[in-house]
Amino acid sequence: MKKCMFVLLILSLFLTGCWDRRELNELGITLALGIDKVEDEYQVTAQVVVPSEISSKTSTGRSPVTLFQATGETVYEALRKITKISPRKIYPGHLRTLVLGEDLAEEGIAESLDFLSRDWEFRSDFFVVIAKDMTAAEVLNVTTTIENIPANKMFNTLKTSEASWAATNAFILDELIANLTSDGKEAVLTGIIVTGEQEMGSSKQNVESITPSARIEYNGLAVFKKDKLVGWLTEIDGRRYNAIVNEVQNTVTAISCPEEGKATLEIIQFDSKMKGKMNKGKPEVDINIKVKGNVGEVECQINLNDPETIVELEKNTEKEMEERIKSTIETVQKQYKSDIFGFGNAIHRSNPKEWKKIKEQWDEEFPEMTANVKVDVKLVHTGTVGNSFLEEIEGR
Amino acid sequence: MSFFRKKSNSKIHSNSISTSQMMKTSSTNELKTNLQENIQIIKDSLGKSSDIIIREIRIGKEETIKAGIIYTDGLTDTDSLQNFILETLMLDIKGTELQKKVSPEQNLISVLKDFAMTVGEIKELTNFEELFSGLLSGDTILLIDGYAQGLIISNRQWVERGVTESTAQMVVRGPREGFSENLRVNTALVRRKIKDPNLWMESKVIGKRTKTNVSMMYINGIVNDKTVKEVRLRLDKIDIDGILESGNIEELIQDAPLSPFPTVFNTERPDIVAAALLEGRIAILVDGTPFVLIVPALFTQFFQSSEDYYQRADIASLIRLLRFFAFTIALLAPAFFIAITTFHHVMLPPALLISLAAQREGVPFPAFVEAIIMEVTFEILREAGVRMPRNIGSAMSIVGAFVIGTAAVEAGIISAAMVIVVSITAISSFVSPTYDLAISVRMLRFGFMALAASFGLVGITIGLIALLLHLCSLRSFGVPYMSPVAPFNLPDQEDTFIRLPRWKMFTRPSLINQQNIVRQQDSASAKPEPPKNKEYEGV
Repeated sequence: MKKCMFVLLILSLFLTGCWDRRELNELGITLALGIDKVEDEYQVTAQVVVPSEISSKTSTGRSPVTLFQATGETVYEALRKITKISPRKIYPGHLRTLVLGEDLAEEGIAESLDFLSRDWEFRSDFFVVIAKDMTAAEVLNVTTTIENIPANKMFNTLKTSEASWAATNAFILDELIANLTSDGKEAVLTGIIVTGEQEMGSSKQNVESITPSARIEYNGLAVFKKDKLVGWLTEIDGRRYNAIVNEVQNTVTAISCPEEGKATLEIIQFDSKMKGKMNKGKPEVDINIKVKGNVGEVECQINLNDPETIVELEKNTEKEMEERIKSTIETVQKQYKSDIFGFGNAIHRSNPKEWKKIKEQWDEEFPEMTANVKVDVKLVHTGTVGNSFLEEIEGR
Repeated sequence: MSFFRKKSNSKIHSNSISTSQMMKTSSTNELKTNLQENIQIIKDSLGKSSDIIIREIRIGKEETIKAGIIYTDGLTDTDSLQNFILETLMLDIKGTELQKKVSPEQNLISVLKDFAMTVGEIKELTNFEELFSGLLSGDTILLIDGYAQGLIISNRQWVERGVTESTAQMVVRGPREGFSENLRVNTALVRRKIKDPNLWMESKVIGKRTKTNVSMMYINGIVNDKTVKEVRLRLDKIDIDGILESGNIEELIQDAPLSPFPTVFNTERPDIVAAALLEGRIAILVDGTPFVLIVPALFTQFFQSSEDYYQRADIASLIRLLRFFAFTIALLAPAFFIAITTFHHVMLPPALLISLAAQREGVPFPAFVEAIIMEVTFEILREAGVRMPRNIGSAMSIVGAFVIGTAAVEAGIISAAMVIVVSITAISSFVSPTYDLAISVRMLRFGFMALAASFGLVGITIGLIALLLHLCSLRSFGVPYMSPVAPFNLPDQEDTFIRLPRWKMFTRPSLINQQNIVRQQDSASAKPEPPKNKEYEGV
């Protein structure tokens, strides 16, 4: 009996599925991957870390990452072809950022994502972004400062800007696929561009000056219809998009003072509720937004010590935000006709039976539907001072 | 298998030789009446060893009675030999008519024993076997011409190490004394701690040639009688020429001789022995070594330091948990490191992965080989450190630290991370309060490293399962080795992974079928509290 158990234990060792013994210095650690469509073929660009350049001890001052590129009929094939040029096999387990080229996005991204979700070496917690007006390879070909691995820079910038500016949207692969497959919600992805002189981007000199010649920057939201790119939302629209889908954690936004001038609202709590309903056979959504914020900056003549002013400011802000959000919804409805807000899902949740009926012609229903936006703003603090010192400057 | 059989056969063979030798020497087992004849036999049997002193004297009023005094130089207290034996025989009783006292009931030997000898322990002897064992233990032998009898006069004394601080099991707080090599001193040390008439001691002589005194100690009324019987049985079964250390006994009585885990506890601290006796265990003391065996020994016992019971309960509990943690590190750290860096890279945070990969650049060996090199180097250094004369020690530690710590990394043979892993493993393996378990861990570590290198975490898991199965199958003198964890016993958890305060420990650990497991009555009043009434205020 004992022997039998022992044999079973030993045998069970050989039952394991995915395993692969590779020493750390046999890995081509790939932190960023770019996929482009070039003449009906996929072009895969891998940004591979050069470990010895990362450690301060052995660094010789060369680039901390290197690019390998190959084309193939499928993504997997292209990726494997990289072994022709790379001394180490690509190891994508720690992939942080996946950049999709705009050309590919226009043709549809779904096919290229299957491999990434299927292969066991990928963890699906990397961010997916779209190169705006350029190829993914061009984006990956830029050196960066502070984070000397560009992939980490892209990852961290997206994370922090999503958390405290809220114009970008950090989608991981799973979320993207969920949006692509959902009937009542279309996908968006954050755009990424290279500003400045692109040709200088890949050289070491790029990061040696205080102002690098080329920088990587997040810009705009790519609007998808099914899996095809149909257009871009501006940064401002992008923030309003995030407000509608309740993706705002923390941001600052300029608001108008009662008379003239500007003030800044720092949003510390943000909650947006979307509720679908059927009104006389027509789909409708109510968007209720609750904002708690501080007065972060005052550039106009107002008396903050007076509660009335605060109430007035709140009213103004509510009105302004409602209008802005409505205009964004309208733009999307009219211009892109793509339900990126998930209105369909809201209807589906509230009226599942009706949803089944209108699901088929949702593309026609969406541009016509009404969205009621209600914003409720509460100002909590005014910072460390009461009224602005601007009042005390004589002659103003 | 045939190899072993052959070996055991030859053993039996050699044993029979030694028995026949014994038979030859004791062919004239009974003492002779003639003194000269006796002395000749002694001389022949002992090969005229130079440390055997034979002194022939004449005693009695007329100095007509021939007597022989035989002792082993160095094992006998010469002062008392001088003052109480020689002086008595040659001066004090000179005027006495010894013959007058002799009666049919009492011969001269008994008369001497009862009226003349001013020493404490004294015995009559009739055969050579007793004579030799007494003589060689340091007793003085008195033989008188004309009698086939003699006296064993106990005045043993030899140079020995005194009671010094225990070096193998250190504590910050707690008694400092450790056992010495003398069995009597050791039993006295325990007796001084437990002044209970129920503290019983059974003595045996084990070893056909060394004739080593072995004592079994237990508290009657607490201990399980069946266990006592079993220990007695196993000790009686021992048939060996010599016992030089309690380790010899341990090997001959342990339950699982092939297991890497010790099923017999050993200590050189009297307070640990006393505590074990109070828990209903049995101590086996062996003459000639400060290490005392304690049975039954359980797995968790090896994580308990005597200091746990002298310190506050909260810190003792935390430290005990730390020991279990350190045990895990010592067992698994290199294996885990190998598994993760060669199979499960995904488990590492990206920054760590890149940093480790950078360190491994240019390292020519796989992680497993690297780890083996480091571990073996460390074991060599450790062994050298133990065996080497103390005054070379510092030189070696410099070389060791330099070779392992710096040079190997700088030469690019070993990655710096591996040095860290091996160091933390080495340090963790010394956290165990008992050396024995640290040894088991050191051996098993290599097995786990091999499993990790070939199968990754799956291998480690399988190894752990096998290890656990093995541990659960062990027993120490009838008690499951893993108790009170498996089989689980709730009351015993008070002193397993954590230690509850004394006023919450009401029972002894329940070794199977102990007679009396109540340590103190379960009552709320056990918890110390300041008095509630105000009359003490201001005192």
